[in-house]
Amino acid sequence: MSLSRSPSPHPGGGWSSPGLTPGSGASTPRGYSPATLAPNGISWAAAKAKSDEVRKYPSFSTRNSGFFSRQKRKISARLPNFRGQASRQGYVDKDVYGRGQLHASGPGGSIVQLYRRSPLGGGPKFVIILGSNVEGGVMEWKGAREWAIERNSIWNKQQYVKRWGYQLEVANMLAKKRYSHEWRESWEKGDVIREVMRKYPNAEWFWWLDLNTWIMEYGTSLQSHLFNDLDSHVYRDINEYNPLNITHPLPEFFLDDLGRALEGDGNPESLSLLLSQDCSGFNLGSFFLRRSIWTERLIDAWWDPVMYEQMHMQWEHKEQDALEYIYQSQAWVRSGVGFLPQRKINAFPPGACGDGNDPAVHYKEEDHDFVVNMAGCNFGRDCWAEIYNYRAISNEHNRSRWKWISDRLGSAREWAFGKED
Amino acid sequence: MQFALPPRRSPHTLPGAHSSRLPLYRRKQLKTIAIIAFAVITLLYLLSRLFSSSSTSLSAPAGTAGVVIVTLLDRQSLSESYINKIVTNREDYAKRHGYTNFFASVSDYDEAIGDAPRSWALIPAMRHAMATHPNSKYFFHLSPHALIMNPTTSLKYHLLDRSRLESLMLKNVPIVPPDSIIKTFALKQKDVDLILTQDSEDLTPSSFILKNGDFARFFLDLWFEPLFRSYKFAKAETHGLDHIMQWHPTVLARTALVPQRILNAYSKDSPGASQDGSYKDGDFVIRFPSCDEGKTRDCDELDPYYSMWLKKAKST
Repeated sequence: MSLSRSPSPHPGGGWSSPGLTPGSGASTPRGYSPATLAPNGISWAAAKAKSDEVRKYPSFSTRNSGFFSRQKRKISARLPNFRGQASRQGYVDKDVYGRGQLHASGPGGSIVQLYRRSPLGGGPKFVIILGSNVEGGVMEWKGAREWAIERNSIWNKQQYVKRWGYQLEVANMLAKKRYSHEWRESWEKGDVIREVMRKYPNAEWFWWLDLNTWIMEYGTSLQSHLFNDLDSHVYRDINEYNPLNITHPLPEFFLDDLGRALEGDGNPESLSLLLSQDCSGFNLGSFFLRRSIWTERLIDAWWDPVMYEQMHMQWEHKEQDALEYIYQSQAWVRSGVGFLPQRKINAFPPGACGDGNDPAVHYKEEDHDFVVNMAGCNFGRDCWAEIYNYRAISNEHNRSRWKWISDRLGSAREWAFGKED
Repeated sequence: MQFALPPRRSPHTLPGAHSSRLPLYRRKQLKTIAIIAFAVITLLYLLSRLFSSSSTSLSAPAGTAGVVIVTLLDRQSLSESYINKIVTNREDYAKRHGYTNFFASVSDYDEAIGDAPRSWALIPAMRHAMATHPNSKYFFHLSPHALIMNPTTSLKYHLLDRSRLESLMLKNVPIVPPDSIIKTFALKQKDVDLILTQDSEDLTPSSFILKNGDFARFFLDLWFEPLFRSYKFAKAETHGLDHIMQWHPTVLARTALVPQRILNAYSKDSPGASQDGSYKDGDFVIRFPSCDEGKTRDCDELDPYYSMWLKKAKST
């Protein structure tokens, strides 16, 4: 099949795709062709309009949005979040173990927190983006367990963010269920990150976390854990751990030194994407993106209709596979990517990666790993049970000094006088 | 100085506690502390601003000066004498302006291109030129079926200069003629990394200028994406270029479109020239698009223009 043109954008968005829509192979960017019908009968325009209802994201613009809209955004971002309040105070349920017992900051914490929240404290440089599905999907009915997972996961990030003065953005991924086949179904991570970057113009690092993750150690700041000494934690040479057997560095003779470098330019300032690999390759359950021109380009190149059209059947993990792919095929990508050992930001529960118990992959309580990602728990495992379990461990690790002493006293009494029942 | 009232004593001074010198001394001390505190806060603020902004700044392009002219020659299909003409033409021009020539051979990139049409070779050739001359600032790709007709035209004054480029730039023009909904931006010269022309149908990769740096690497790597090569665009890399311009705003936002005759005037009667895109006496470059189709081994159409150029080159 020889295609006269690439699929071309239409006014108002979308494109006619030669491969997927019959009779549109000769379409050119010239004519306006109204809402092309996809094979499954969902028109692009309809799907797009629906997803716009849920979550509008502005298209790319080279200009800053107006003063007023920026201020309005700032103001609205500071308004109290009633949902969050309600779930913290109004909601009581039996599954919640130790809620309200967590005094992470202790007395006098508020001044420290105020400082951390200020530009001097460095807190506002970090935004956590939690991929969530707040109101429930359209396609699947959300049960009590799903609600509990979501509530708890958000609460977990709120606790952490409050302590260190970071910002939290709960991204509603609801729209993805309404995306039609041809649209960026579950390719939204890039779109959401772009949107959040616009919303927090002063933040530098954006940390994506999937919903099924748990931040285990509230006492560990991102600065001390990673960013104060990025160079020592990151490896750029993928050969260090290379489950996909990616050829690195690239052998092409026509590339420049940077394109063929083993370690990029070696300067931690050029790192814009920090992610970890699990036993089967890149993992995007927990990753960092820095605000930079490299990141803009990555998000832009990540999704392309011609690439998507050819690969969407093979790219089962959507943007994760696409990222793996462009990391291999386009030399410029490598210079901005740094890998972190998996347990640094993305430890797996036992059994999440193959049958093996690879110590580089799986959570170790005694090492106080920072984050657990219940990756793949909705495929034959029990997400809620896992989260419940890790929440208990995390609460144990993070209890206040007073709680620790009283627990000790309690166990001492038990030891001395035997159990009372 | 006269005061209507005697200066008020500080209420904190205890009666009989030494003299009135103390509050004055204290005030001075407080003033010093305030100044120091202010200075420290300002310094910290400035430092924090400095660090927060440094992380978002662009890395400067590697090169500082110089232009490299990249010509891709297919030594298997072009005759020796034709290649000599092109090389003479480019070398004469480079010598006059202190530019550098980079002659690449299509067959060098066969392995990289794979099954795709060989015309894709211009992209790795550009990357190769950049790797070979990392300190040059501009890379000018010119098709082997084109002649530089005006040897005295310097790229700087003709095109690259700030006011010149900003006045030439076509703003809010459909990227793919005549009515693509994606249109060019109005850019400042410092934001331009790629200078292109279009004919009546497409953006043309036969003659363009690319500035060395991160953008150039990104742009060339994206353009050379294997999935674009395997997509079987009817016009291979030309449609590939149309495609990425329309779909990737980070590329478009660094691209300036200039009138066709600035870089890419078509020979007389060539189909596909844009309005006012045909060669007129005095134009910088003439290109022979029908020669790209490779029906004749050499581009006969070029000969009369070559002798015209020879005459001109000798007299100036």
